[in-house]
Amino acid sequence: MTFEGGVRAALADVQLRGALRQATTLFGDRRGTALASVPDWEGARERARAIKDETLLHLDRYLEQFTSSAERAGARMHWARDAGEACEIIGRIGEVLGARTVVKSKSMATEEIHLNAALARRGIEPIETDLGEYIIQLAGETPSHIVVPAIHKTKAQIAALFAEKLGIAPTDDAAALTAAARQALRRRFAEADIGISGVNFAVAETGTILILENEGNARLTTSLPRTHIALMGIEKVIPRFADLEVFLQLLPRSGTGQVLTAYQSLLTGVKRRPEDEGPDELHIVLLDNGRSRMLASPVTRQSLACIRCGACLNACPVYRQIGGHAYDSVYPGPIGAILTPQLIGIERAAHLPYASSLCGACRDVCPVKIDIPALLLHLRAQVIEQRAGKSRLLERVAFRCYAAVMARPRLYEWTMRVARILRIVPPLPAWTKWRDLRPLAPRSFREEWRVGLRDEGVS
Amino acid sequence: MIRTDDARGQILRSIRESLAASVPLDAMAHAPRRHSTHVPPGPSLQAPDLVPRFTEQLSAVGAQWTLVRGEVEAARALRRILSDAGAKRVAGSDAPLVARLLPERLTDLSRDELFICDAGVTTAQWGIAETGTLVLESARERSRLASLVPPMHVALLSTSRICASLADALARVDVASHAVTLITGPSRTSDIELTLVVGVHGPQVVHILLLEEEAQ
Repeated sequence: MTFEGGVRAALADVQLRGALRQATTLFGDRRGTALASVPDWEGARERARAIKDETLLHLDRYLEQFTSSAERAGARMHWARDAGEACEIIGRIGEVLGARTVVKSKSMATEEIHLNAALARRGIEPIETDLGEYIIQLAGETPSHIVVPAIHKTKAQIAALFAEKLGIAPTDDAAALTAAARQALRRRFAEADIGISGVNFAVAETGTILILENEGNARLTTSLPRTHIALMGIEKVIPRFADLEVFLQLLPRSGTGQVLTAYQSLLTGVKRRPEDEGPDELHIVLLDNGRSRMLASPVTRQSLACIRCGACLNACPVYRQIGGHAYDSVYPGPIGAILTPQLIGIERAAHLPYASSLCGACRDVCPVKIDIPALLLHLRAQVIEQRAGKSRLLERVAFRCYAAVMARPRLYEWTMRVARILRIVPPLPAWTKWRDLRPLAPRSFREEWRVGLRDEGVS
Repeated sequence: MIRTDDARGQILRSIRESLAASVPLDAMAHAPRRHSTHVPPGPSLQAPDLVPRFTEQLSAVGAQWTLVRGEVEAARALRRILSDAGAKRVAGSDAPLVARLLPERLTDLSRDELFICDAGVTTAQWGIAETGTLVLESARERSRLASLVPPMHVALLSTSRICASLADALARVDVASHAVTLITGPSRTSDIELTLVVGVHGPQVVHILLLEEEAQ
C-alpha cells in the first residue's frame, strides 16, 4: 500500500484512532508527571546528549574497548555489516547448536533485520515472549508502536485470537488473557535452545549490556536457555558504567512514564563457575546496517543518539492520528521518519521525511535532544536532490520566478494586482489536495493599510 | 562463508571515514558542545531517613514489605508471609541467611521443579530508597531464577544496605557479577488495552522483609 493509502485506511479506522488517542495521551501525561521527580530534567538531557556526542565522535575506539571488555568477561563478539549478515551470523549459531526453537524478548533491532523470517527459513522457530509482541506474532502482524507493539488491537480481538490459537475460553478479562499467555509461554521458555534479546545500553568500560523491561520475559530469555544472543546497533555503546545512571533516569520516564521499569538486567559476559545460574554462551552481535554512514555529518549523526524511548511517537500529531502501520517502516513515528530513510536508503523511503508537520513536538520531548525537524528537512533536501527530470526542472523554474517577484516590491504589487483581477490561483495541487486555499482578498493588506492611514488622517 | 574479521575491519574503517568526512562540517556548524559529563551530587539522604523513604517507594511501586528486628523475628515473619500466601513449595537461594531463616527451603531444583514452586526466597544485596528498587548480584548468591520464576518473591534485605539513590547503588554494585538484576515491584504489563496487569512472566507478588540489626 502507498503511504497515502495507509494514511486513508488509518484515518477511516475509528477503533484504531480511539486506541491511539487513549495510549498517546496516557503516556504523554504519565511522562509529564514522571519528569517532575527529576530535579534538573534539562540538565539530565544535556548530560545524556553530551555523553552520546562524546561516544559517537570516538565510536571506533569505544566499540573496540567494549569488544575487548566483553570478550574478557567471556562473551563472543560478532560484527555484521548489514541485516543479511546479522541474520546469517545468528542463524549459523542456531544451526551449530542444532536449535529448534528460540525465545525472543522485545528488540527493534531484530525487527529491523527481519530476523524471525530468516530463522524460520532455517527451520528454527522464533517465539516472541513480550506479551504485546506475542499477540502480534500470533496474529501475523508487525508492531505499531516501539513500546506498546499491540496498541492497535482491542481486548475483544485479542480474546478471539487466543481462543483460536491457544484454545482458551473466550474472556474479556485482561488478567485472564495475560495468564493464558504466561501459561503458554512457560513451556516455550523451558524447551527453548536459545534466548535472543536486544540491548538498551552497552558499557565500554566493563563490557556490560543492559536490558530494560517490565514483564520478566527478558530475564527469562537471558537466564533460562543455555545460549544467549544479544543483537545491538553499534550506537548503543556508552563509555562508563556510571553513565548508566542518567540514561536510567531518562529512558523509563520518557517511554512509559515510569521512574524505573520493573527490571533492569546488567549482564557482563557469562557465568564464572559451572554452578552459577545463566547461559553457558553469550554471543553479542554488533550491527552496522547503515549506521556508520550517519556519522558523516553533525546533522545526521544525532540520529545515533536515539535511545528508543518512543516519546516522540506519543507527542507527534501525525502519529497520534495514523498510528505505526501507515508509515510502512520498521521504526514508525518521527524517529522512524529520520532513521528508516538513512538505514534503507532515501529512494526506498522518500515518503517518510514528509510524514510530519514539522511542528517540533518531537524535538521538545526527546530525552537526548535530537533535532528531528532539522533532520527531516535535511532528508527532504536529499529527496529533491535525487528527483530527476521534469518535476525538478519545473520546481526550479517556479522558485526562480518566486524569488524574482518577492525580491522586487513593484513587480510583486503588479503581479498581485493582476492575480486579483484575473482571480488566478497558483497551481499547487500537492497543497490543495489536502487543504483549502482561500481565494485572494479583493484588496491587499498594503492597500487596506494605505486606505486606513488616509481615513485616520481625515477623521 | 562470512569472514567476520573483514566485517569488523570494514565497519571500523567506515566509522573512521565518516568521522573524518564530518570534521569540516563540524567546524562549520557549532563545535560539538563540550558539556561536563560530571554528575553533580544531589542532596544526599541521611541514614535514618532511608528506611521510611524506601518503604514509601516500595508501596508506590506495588511491592509489599515487613520491617523486623533480628533473625528470630525475621524467621517468624517469613513463615507467616509464606503461609498467608498459601505457599507450600518454596525455592530458596544458596544464601546462608535464607538457610538459617527457612531450613526447609528447596534448593538445587531442576527447571521443571522450579516451575511448580509457589514462592522463591532470596536476599538482596542492596536497596535503593529513591526508587524502591532491589539489587541482586550473581557473584554473591544464586538468586536469578528463585527471584523470577515462582509467582511470589520474598527478598530479605538488611536496612544497612539501603542506598539513597540509583547513582549510589551503581557506584557500589559488584561488577564482578555476570548478572546484576534491579527489581522494582512486581512483573507488570499494559499491553492489552493499556490495562495494568501484574504478574506476567515474573512474580505477581514481591514482598521485602527488611531486617534491622538487633540492638547490642
